[in-house]
Amino acid sequence: MSDRSAGVVPLLPVVAFVAAFAIVPAALLLATGTSAAGGIGGLAKLAADPLNQQAFSNSLLQGGLSAGVAVALGAPAGVFLGRYTFRGRSELLALLIVPFLLPTLAVVLGVETIFGTGGILASVLPGTQVLGSGLGGIVTANVLYNAPVVTLLTAVGVESSAPALEETVATLGGGPLRAFRDAWGRSALLGAAAGAVLTFLFSALAFAAPLLLCGARCYTVEARIWSLDQVLLTPAAAAGVAFLLVALLALPAAAYLALVARLRAARRSAERPARRVPWRNPWVWPAVGATVALSVAVVGLLGAVLDAAARPVTPGAGEFSAFAQLFGPAVTGRLGVSTLAATGNTVFFATVATALALLFAIGTGFGLSERPGAARWLRALVFAPLVVSPVVLSFALAQFWRPVFGGTSTVGVLILLAQATLAIPFALPAVEVALRRVPRSLRESAETLGQTPWSAYLDVELPLVRDGLVTAGLFAFALSFGEFTATYFLATPTFTTLPVELYRLDEIREPALAAAVAGLLVVVSLVSFLVIVRGGRRVEF
Amino acid sequence: MSSSECLRVRGLGASWGADPVLTDVDLDVADGEFVVLMGPNGSGKTTLLRCLVGLEAPTHGTVSLRGRNLRGVPTHRRGVGMLFQEPALFPHRSVWENVAYGLAVLRRPRADIDRRVEEMLRLLHLESLADRAPQALSGGERQRVALARTLAPEPPLVLLDEPFASVDAEIRRDLRSAFRRALSATRTAAIHVTHDREEGLLLADRVVLLSGGRVVQHGSPPEVYGAPASADSARFLGYNVLVESGRAMAIAPIDVEIRPLGESNRTGTVTLSGFAGGSHLVEVELEGGERLEGRLPLGAIPPAVGTRVGLRWRRSVALPGAPV
Repeated sequence: MSDRSAGVVPLLPVVAFVAAFAIVPAALLLATGTSAAGGIGGLAKLAADPLNQQAFSNSLLQGGLSAGVAVALGAPAGVFLGRYTFRGRSELLALLIVPFLLPTLAVVLGVETIFGTGGILASVLPGTQVLGSGLGGIVTANVLYNAPVVTLLTAVGVESSAPALEETVATLGGGPLRAFRDAWGRSALLGAAAGAVLTFLFSALAFAAPLLLCGARCYTVEARIWSLDQVLLTPAAAAGVAFLLVALLALPAAAYLALVARLRAARRSAERPARRVPWRNPWVWPAVGATVALSVAVVGLLGAVLDAAARPVTPGAGEFSAFAQLFGPAVTGRLGVSTLAATGNTVFFATVATALALLFAIGTGFGLSERPGAARWLRALVFAPLVVSPVVLSFALAQFWRPVFGGTSTVGVLILLAQATLAIPFALPAVEVALRRVPRSLRESAETLGQTPWSAYLDVELPLVRDGLVTAGLFAFALSFGEFTATYFLATPTFTTLPVELYRLDEIREPALAAAVAGLLVVVSLVSFLVIVRGGRRVEF
Repeated sequence: MSSSECLRVRGLGASWGADPVLTDVDLDVADGEFVVLMGPNGSGKTTLLRCLVGLEAPTHGTVSLRGRNLRGVPTHRRGVGMLFQEPALFPHRSVWENVAYGLAVLRRPRADIDRRVEEMLRLLHLESLADRAPQALSGGERQRVALARTLAPEPPLVLLDEPFASVDAEIRRDLRSAFRRALSATRTAAIHVTHDREEGLLLADRVVLLSGGRVVQHGSPPEVYGAPASADSARFLGYNVLVESGRAMAIAPIDVEIRPLGESNRTGTVTLSGFAGGSHLVEVELEGGERLEGRLPLGAIPPAVGTRVGLRWRRSVALPGAPV
């Protein structure tokens, strides 16, 4: 009934941005790739190629296994953290997101440091080496990276169920199983399912883990596209495989969006009362066990990376000596670029990408409050680049925008655009969820007192969602700071960022220096975590 | 437009999709008049207010404020104040800043703002709370601040959407007199939506009854209560509605007498009987299945549940229109 057509305008910049720098280039790339590959027949030939087939089966296997293990570990922890209140709960929830803020390379490095040959556990528990390389290592890295996401989404699901429903089941004589089935279980499963699908997508698209932990035989489709374009120099084949990849992942991506939409719809109702942990109830122990295991894994991972970063670079050198070398001329000589320049680039790209993502999130927050019906489509649009995958996104950007921008600034601009595009789907929900908690009557009151809708939004609503903005900003910053896949695809040997430098150092067998870079990236993630925790804030998907 | 006319609504309609919510609503409010809008749930009261303030767009009809047609005028340019069920105070601003908000938006000079805010705080007895944060106030105090904030920019018309609904009975009593006094003192016209018919009849200069999205009756409280225009109006006003000799009759509970079986108009079985504060409440199911509520004075002995009783009424009002 409301006639608030002005709400469309603030949505246009983000729509135009994502369309111009992700959807249209990717669509053109896929279309030209399909025709260059020889149409449907050519695509069929690409699909029949044994190496491509291996990449697709690797993606499905790694995605499926990772999703299964991540749910087995993350969902019980999510149930525990969603249902019960205890001291340190919000800190734990924030801590669990830290690996997600890390570049995948740092996680991979942590897995190697803990489980790999000569790793921390190698001598204590020799059997665990299987988790340090090959398929086991890839799944371990994927699980460490994604299980916390499953936990968070499951916790959101649990928190979304109306407490009165569970209490009603109890007053009608229903036990815990009935309460699970009829009250809170459905929304918990919804959250866990959303987490599982997201883990599957991220793992099937994994790039760094197969590259570093296994090699060509474990390449996912993402790595295969990179290899076809950058190593074998067959961009037409790469575009064709990219088309097949998008076609394959369209369904799980749509499923994820549908699950999250249902989760959001449920989330409107809930405000859960504090509930103490029933330590004597044996049903709670598996959930406690999963939470402890996950927390230990996250702390262990961070500790391992920081420990490796602190180790002497050569026997006899002091602790943290790697950092001195890292910023010294030797590294510049070997890589052709200084760490300081890489650090400057990383900070610059992350800052500008974050500012862009926040600006879009602020405009979109207003637009969606005026036109809530557009939320579903907009979420699908901004999520699309993640499914298109970072490699395909950067491939498309390079193909279609490099000639337009030209000049020496091309690399920087393209990296910036890619990072902003990949940060938007994470910044937007944090602001949107925070805004949904502000009663609508506040803005309407301001309007009845003479404020325009936009001024009322800026003056009344935005100050109230400062925490959401801080969380969105930190999340976007940390993700951009650690972004590797798209940046690696676009960077040149002399124009690079810290995650790319980490990869190169690992490639040229400089583990101590690579660990030092990983340590820097971990510190940025930890600082983000600490700021998020300080305000009792929480990351939202 | 008459010289004292504040609001004029003609043929206003609104709908949610294909479902009409308001149909051909006509309404006039004079300057300084306190109009109470009453009606059952879903009758369109809140939608009407939201259309008047511009938060919803009507499908047809006109709204004019002091002769100015409001068609297409956005909420922030209408100059119509509104108070919501929840006080909607800005939590990041103090009481003083909340009250000053509308004046600052209008870019009034600082001295004017200070003077007007002081005046509003005094009028609603909020002087000592000026520096407090909204979170540190009680429910009643918050509503008083919300009214002060609404009245500060001197709107000609204020819309009150059940502002006492979320406070307890004692605070509600205090608030309604504080609100009525403040609105009278500032000579501001108001449309007050309430479910509480006693409160509505007590406060109103004029009552407007809304049912099914239409205005079914309006007039002074004694006029409306004394002659309900339809069965719906009568039920909403607390009457029993019975059909006698093919005519619908409205009977007030206080006019119902419990009599021996032989001396009565109708007979029935008592289904509920008990002390209800200032009177005894007796509910009787008549032989035709209709239910009738009676109020007996405290000195009377109420019949027990299950007793067959005779009923007589001192007075009834014939309702116009077809039997219901």
